[in-house]
Amino acid sequence: MSSLERQRAFLDYTLASLVRRKAKNGALVLAYALVVFLIASVMFFSRALRTEGQAVLAGAPELVVQRMLAGRFDTIPASYADSIRRIRGVSEVEPRLWGYYFNRAVGATFTVLGLPDFAHADDEIVAGPAAAKAWTNLQDGRYLFRTFKGDSTGFKPVQVLPEETRLVSADLLIMSETAFRQVFGLPEGQYTDLAVTVRNPQEMQTVTEKIQREHPDTRPIQREEILRTYESVFEWRGGMVIVVFAGAALAFFIFAWDKATGLSAEERHEIGILKALGWDTADVLVMKFWEGLAISLTSFLLGTIAAYAHVFLADAGLFAQALKGWSVLYVDFPLSPVVSPTELLALFFLSVAPYTFITVIPAWRAAITDPDTVMRAS
Amino acid sequence: MKKALRLAPLVLGLLLLASAALAQPAALKLPPPGKTDKCPVCGMFVAKYKDWLAYAVLTDGKLLYFDGPKDMFRFVADPGHYLSGFKKEQIAELYVSEFYSLKPILAQDAFYVAGSDAYGPMGHELVPLATQADAEAFRKDHKGKRVLRYGDITPALLKALD
Repeated sequence: MSSLERQRAFLDYTLASLVRRKAKNGALVLAYALVVFLIASVMFFSRALRTEGQAVLAGAPELVVQRMLAGRFDTIPASYADSIRRIRGVSEVEPRLWGYYFNRAVGATFTVLGLPDFAHADDEIVAGPAAAKAWTNLQDGRYLFRTFKGDSTGFKPVQVLPEETRLVSADLLIMSETAFRQVFGLPEGQYTDLAVTVRNPQEMQTVTEKIQREHPDTRPIQREEILRTYESVFEWRGGMVIVVFAGAALAFFIFAWDKATGLSAEERHEIGILKALGWDTADVLVMKFWEGLAISLTSFLLGTIAAYAHVFLADAGLFAQALKGWSVLYVDFPLSPVVSPTELLALFFLSVAPYTFITVIPAWRAAITDPDTVMRAS
Repeated sequence: MKKALRLAPLVLGLLLLASAALAQPAALKLPPPGKTDKCPVCGMFVAKYKDWLAYAVLTDGKLLYFDGPKDMFRFVADPGHYLSGFKKEQIAELYVSEFYSLKPILAQDAFYVAGSDAYGPMGHELVPLATQADAEAFRKDHKGKRVLRYGDITPALLKALD
């Protein structure tokens, strides 16, 4: 018999013996798959979010300059933009106007952007897809805003941004600069922050230092820093969810350890019979190895496939709220299915490999004892 | 007569095309390097180092890419050494990427700062800048040693750079 056929025979026997104890092994696979499912879901989800975040930030300005007042983020005067524009290596400085508006009637926060070259009239507004759906308190078809003075002004919706942009534009409302200043009471010549373009990435650090030196009351934020912050936030959130599930995982591992390390009387009996029938110790070990592999691989595949479906087909319904963010208006976007092979491999080695090996040790202990003793003891 | 009239727009078009080709800005004449374009001096693929790119436009319209002004100067000093049979006369124009704007400028027009802390893909570089004032400012910001013009750059100086 060739060694391949021999292994096939072992596998055949193992699977048949697993099926014989259907309920017990089924429960084990199910519990195991559930743990893999939870961990893989968090992994897939945070990876997808990170990729999505990077895609969004790829279009973000390389350098944003904010003014600080008593340690808090404050508006920045236009004169800062002029002096920063004069720094060598800076190709463009764009003063930006944006902020948040809390709509009490619908109980949601919207991001509002004021554009100096807004294509529509001052009493018109452009809305992101989710914002257009969420903003329900219309008056004569106009979006009603409470200005900083307490009176209200209406804006006629003229355009809804396309769905494709929703990750960045979901809760977005765009109005003209004049309208923005009217609603929020921002004085003329003051802006929210400055977006600075530096053509040569090698010069970024020097430009940042010069801005800091020239305007000590500002805080220049490089895109790289934002990327790093996002990374750590996602990592932290992912970690938090994993900690919550760690209890479940631990319970399972104790159960699996118990099941795998201590053989039941029935199993010892089985090994005794096999040895009496002329099986070698090595044969028993190979059989047990196949058994461990069959259980852990099945669970691993079930768990990861379920996690994939959960995250990418069902939008991670179980814990999306915990992972996505703080905004009241949840951004609704399908996650692009990105799976990191390294992470998958790590999960594989953390789940399949240890289980397969810990099942072999007790089998080996039972297999090296005399079959007579083993059977008598049970 | 009729035939000549019919040809007129064509001739005019060709004339326009020709004048457009003559007045072509640098960016049009210098297409970005492909994945397989190598620097003839060091043999590295240049596409990854666009910020430092230097170009030699040849008299036959072909283009050579260098992954930094330093390698370009090395090539110009002794082209036959790097491409056998290549004559200095085959080079029509030389361009370097200006540090701040990353736009190609004529190598003869640039001011070069030596000994700065801005490293290119081949280490120490001669950093090209558009004006004397830019070069002075850059030298101060990046601890450069001196500002050089095209004519100042000799093989001995290139050797001392590394």
